[in-house]
Amino acid sequence: MQNFGSGRKTIVFIIFNATFAIIFLRLFQMQILEYQFFNDKSISNSIKAIEQIPLRGVFFDRNMNIVVDNVPAYTIRITPALYNSKLDSLIETVIGEKPGYIKRILKANRIYSRFIPIRIKRGIDFKAVSWLEENAENLPGVDYIVEMQRDYPAGIRGSHIFGYTKEISPKLLEKYKDLYKPGDYIGYTGIEKAYENILRGTKGYNYVLVDSRRREIGKFKDGKDDIPSIKGNDLVLTIDEDVQRVAEEQLKGYTGAAVAIEPKTGEVIAMASAPDFDLSEFSYVTSHEYLEKLYTDPKKPFFNRATQSANPPGSTFKIMEAICALDNHIIDTNFTVTCSGGQTFYGRYFKCDARHGTLNVIHGIEHSCNVFFYNLIYKIGMVKWHQYANLFGFGKDTHIDIDDEVKGLIPSEQYYVKRYGENWPKSIMASLGIGQGEVNVTPIQLAQYAALIANDGTTYTPHLVRGYLTNDTKKLVPFSFKQINLGINKNVFNIVKEGMYLVVNGSGTAAGIKSKDIVIAGKTGTAQNPHGKDHAWFICFAPYKDPKIAIAVLVENVGFGATYAAPIAKKMVEAYLEKDKFKKEEQDQKKTFSNTLIGANFEN
Amino acid sequence: MRIDYKLNDKFDVGLIFSSILLLCIGLLAIYSSTLHNPHANGNFHKQVIWGIGAIIGFFIIYTLPTNIFKAIAIPSYLFSIFLLIVVLLIGKRVYGAKSWLGLEGIGFQPSEFAKLGTILALSYFLSNSNTDLDSFKDILISLIIGLFPVGLIMIEPDLGTSFVFLGMVLILLYWKGISTFGLFVVLSPGIVAISSLFGPYYLAGSLVAVTICLFLFRKDIFSSGSIFALNIAAGFFTKYVYEILSQHQQTRIKSFINPWADPLGAGYNAIQAKVAVGSGGLFGKGFLSGNQTQLQFIPEQWTDFIFCVIGEEFGFIGTSIVLALFFYLLLRIFKIATTTKDEFLSLTIIGILSVYFIHLLINIGMVVGIMPVIGIPLPFMSYGGSSLVLDFLMLSVVANVHRTRKNYT
Repeated sequence: MQNFGSGRKTIVFIIFNATFAIIFLRLFQMQILEYQFFNDKSISNSIKAIEQIPLRGVFFDRNMNIVVDNVPAYTIRITPALYNSKLDSLIETVIGEKPGYIKRILKANRIYSRFIPIRIKRGIDFKAVSWLEENAENLPGVDYIVEMQRDYPAGIRGSHIFGYTKEISPKLLEKYKDLYKPGDYIGYTGIEKAYENILRGTKGYNYVLVDSRRREIGKFKDGKDDIPSIKGNDLVLTIDEDVQRVAEEQLKGYTGAAVAIEPKTGEVIAMASAPDFDLSEFSYVTSHEYLEKLYTDPKKPFFNRATQSANPPGSTFKIMEAICALDNHIIDTNFTVTCSGGQTFYGRYFKCDARHGTLNVIHGIEHSCNVFFYNLIYKIGMVKWHQYANLFGFGKDTHIDIDDEVKGLIPSEQYYVKRYGENWPKSIMASLGIGQGEVNVTPIQLAQYAALIANDGTTYTPHLVRGYLTNDTKKLVPFSFKQINLGINKNVFNIVKEGMYLVVNGSGTAAGIKSKDIVIAGKTGTAQNPHGKDHAWFICFAPYKDPKIAIAVLVENVGFGATYAAPIAKKMVEAYLEKDKFKKEEQDQKKTFSNTLIGANFEN
Repeated sequence: MRIDYKLNDKFDVGLIFSSILLLCIGLLAIYSSTLHNPHANGNFHKQVIWGIGAIIGFFIIYTLPTNIFKAIAIPSYLFSIFLLIVVLLIGKRVYGAKSWLGLEGIGFQPSEFAKLGTILALSYFLSNSNTDLDSFKDILISLIIGLFPVGLIMIEPDLGTSFVFLGMVLILLYWKGISTFGLFVVLSPGIVAISSLFGPYYLAGSLVAVTICLFLFRKDIFSSGSIFALNIAAGFFTKYVYEILSQHQQTRIKSFINPWADPLGAGYNAIQAKVAVGSGGLFGKGFLSGNQTQLQFIPEQWTDFIFCVIGEEFGFIGTSIVLALFFYLLLRIFKIATTTKDEFLSLTIIGILSVYFIHLLINIGMVVGIMPVIGIPLPFMSYGGSSLVLDFLMLSVVANVHRTRKNYT
C-alpha cells in the first residue's frame, strides 16, 4: 500500500466533504432561501380552478311573462384520454343513439386536448343518468354534469327571433379566446346572438385540490377562495306572447311572415316567419336528422322571411305614392281620375280590377284603383317616387337589432337606364305605381311603413328588446333606439289614413275584416309572382284614432291579400287590443279540450 | 465506561445505529408516500420485513471469519456474472429494464449483488502483490474485471447502476495508486464514448482533447498511438451500439443526456421533486401532510425519490438529519478503510464506500437538481429489497473488518 496516508487520501477526503457541503448548501438554498418560490409552485400545482358556467339571462315579454327560460338537464360527457372506445355501443344504446354516434362526436372534437371532457349528448333522461351512476366504476372517462338549457314555457316558438345557442366553433373560439373555452355555448342566431354580451354573464371559479392525475380530491380552503359566477342579465323583449302566438298559429301551413310594431316606439310586438322550427331541439346536442330535415326542406325553415324575403309590395305601396303626391302638392283631395277598367300608357294597356268611375285619392285607396295610381306615378315622376320610397325606409336596412336582413330594391331612373339604356320603356312606371315589377320590400320594412303612417311619420328603429334587468334590483335598464321623423305634414297622413279606414270600414278591399269593437285601418296588396300564385299582403294599424299596433302580413303563393293576409292581421290586433276577451276565448278552448280528454278517459 | 469501550471496540455501534436510523426514517417516508396509493400500500410492510431480514443478514456476515471475503472474492464475482447473464435471458422486465430475477415470488436484482462481487474481485486483483498499475496489461485486466458486469448491466439497460460501477472502479484504481497517465488511459475512452452520444462535434472535440493530452504526457509513439486508437474505437463503437439499440433504449439514453428532452417523463419528475423539497421549508409540512407526496405528483416516490418525501414533510431539519447521518456513517467507513492494514480489506471497504457515496451523490443530487435524473436508490432508505439487503450486507463486511482489525496489525 504504497500510497497510504499520501495526498490521495487527502484528496478523497476533501472531495467527500465538499460533496456533503454542496448538497447541504443546496438544500439550505432550496428549503430556506427559495422556500416561498417552491411553496407557491407546490400550491398552484395541486389546485385546479373549475369553471362555473353562469346562468344565462332569460327573456321576458313586454308584459313580463317569461318566454325563454332555463331548466336543468343532464349532459353525458366523455374524456377521450381516459375513455375506452369499446364502450361505444353500450353507451349508445343507453342514450338512445345510433351506432357510430360517439365516434363521430369525438372525431369532431379531436382538435382539443384529450383531457378535456367532450359533451356527447345533452338532455339525457333520468334512466340513463342512474345507469351511469350505477356503473360509474366500469365506465372510465365517462361522466355526466347538470347543465342549464333553454326552455320555452310560453308555448311560442319564436324560432327566428329568439334564436338558439350552440357550442362555440373553433373559428369563433380563436376570435374570443379570453371569453370562451371549448364546449362553451354562445348565442348563434337571433336575440341570443345579438345580445350575447348581456345574456352571457361572468364565469366563476371553484378551486379544488387535485392529485397528480388531476383527479379531484376535495375543496381548496373549503371553498373560501371560490369566485361565484355572475348570472347573465335578463332581457325584457318588446314582443307580446299572445300576439306572437297568434301570428305563429295563423301562419301555420303557409309560407310567409307577420310583423307587428308599436308605432310610437318602434317596439316589435310580434315577428313570425313560417315555416319555423322547434328551438327546443337546439337545447340539446341537435340531432343530425333534425338538422338534415331543416336544411333540405325546400321551404327553408331557417330563413327568416320577416327580414330576409323581399317581394313586390303590390298595392300596399299606393299609400306611399299618395303621401308623396299630397306632400308635394302635386294633388289634393279635389284631384280625381276616372277609371274605366284600364288605361294605355306608352303603348301598353294596363288593367284595373273594376270600372271604378271617377274617384279622388281617398277612394282610390279605398278601392285600390290601379288606374288612379298609374296616373299618379307619372305625375310624381321617378325621382320623387324613389326619394319617398327611401324616406319610408325601403331599399335599405331597418337596423332591427337581430341581424341578417335584406335591403330589398327600389329602382331609380339610373337603374333602368343602366338596365335598358337611355330610352327605357316608360310603361314600366305604371307597374311601379301599383307596387309591381322590379320593386322588392321585406315584411319588416312594410311593418315599419305601416307604423310610420299610423304615427304620422314618426317612429323609432324597430327593435325586439326593450332593455335588460339588473341582477340585484331587477330594475329595467332600457336601450336607446334612433328616432325616425319623416317631417311630413300631419294632414297628409290624415287623408291617406281616411282611405285606409275605408278599406276596412267602407266598401273597400278588406271590408271582410271589419270589427265592431276595434276600428282597423289597412291596405291590401297582391303581388304578382312569376313562380306561382300571387303573394298576399296586408298592412294595417289599429285603433284608427289612436294607433297602438301596426302590422304587415305576407302570405306567399296564395292569392288575394284581402282573403289570406287581412284575417291574420285582424287576429293579431284582437290579441293585442282585446287581451281580456282574447284570454277568455283561449281558456274556453282549453276547457273544451280538457273536457274531451276526461271524457276519453271515462270511455276507457 | 469500560464496558462501553469494550463494546465499541469490537462492535461499531455507530455504524449499525446510524444505518438503522436511516432505515427507520426511510420507512416513515415509504409509509407516507404509499398511504394513498392503492398499488403500493403494501410496500411499507414488505420493506419492514426486508429490513429485518437485512439486519439478520448483517449479523450473520458480521460473525464470519474475516478471511472468508478474500476466499469468496473470485467465486462470488463469477456467480454475479452468471446471474447477470441469466437475468438477460429469463429476467423480468420492470420499468423498461430487464434486471429482475424472480425467486419464489420474491424478485431480486442480480446487479445489486454484482456490486459486492465486483468490489471483492477487483480488490483481490489490485491487492495482489504482482499487480502493477503502471503496466498497461494490469490496467486492462482491472478494467475488464470492473467493466465486464457494466457491459452486461448496460444491455439490460440499467444506466444508473452502470454509472455506480464505473465510478466504483475508478475510485478503487485511484485509491490503489494508479498514475495520472494511467488514470488518463482509463478515463479518456469513457469521456470520448459519452461525448459521441452528444453528437459528432462533441466526439471530434473530445478526440482533439485526447490528442493534446497525449502530447503533454510525452509517451512513446507506440503507446500514444494505441491509446488514440482505443479512444477512436470507443467513440465509434458507442455510436454503433447506440444505433442498434431499440427505440426505447435510445429514448432512455437520450433522456439521460438531456432530461428536458422528455419534460413529461424524467424532466417532469425532476421539476416536481425540486418543488417538493423546496416547499418543505425549515420544518416541513408535517408527516403525511405534504401535498406533493400525498397527491402523488412524483410517480414511484418511495423508490428513487424517497428523499423528496423527507424534504417535503420534515423540511430542512429532516434533510439535515439524514445528511448528517450519512455523513457520519460514511466518515466512519472511511476511517475504518484507512485504519485497516490489510490492503485487500482496505480496498474492499473503499469500494463499498464508493458505492454508498455514488448512490448518495446521484440520488440526492438528482432530487435537489444538481445531477441529471438517473434512477438509482438512496442507500438504506429507498424501497426495494435487493438494494436494502445489499446495503446492509456491505455494511456488515465493513463492521466485520472493524471487529477483527487488530488481527491484521
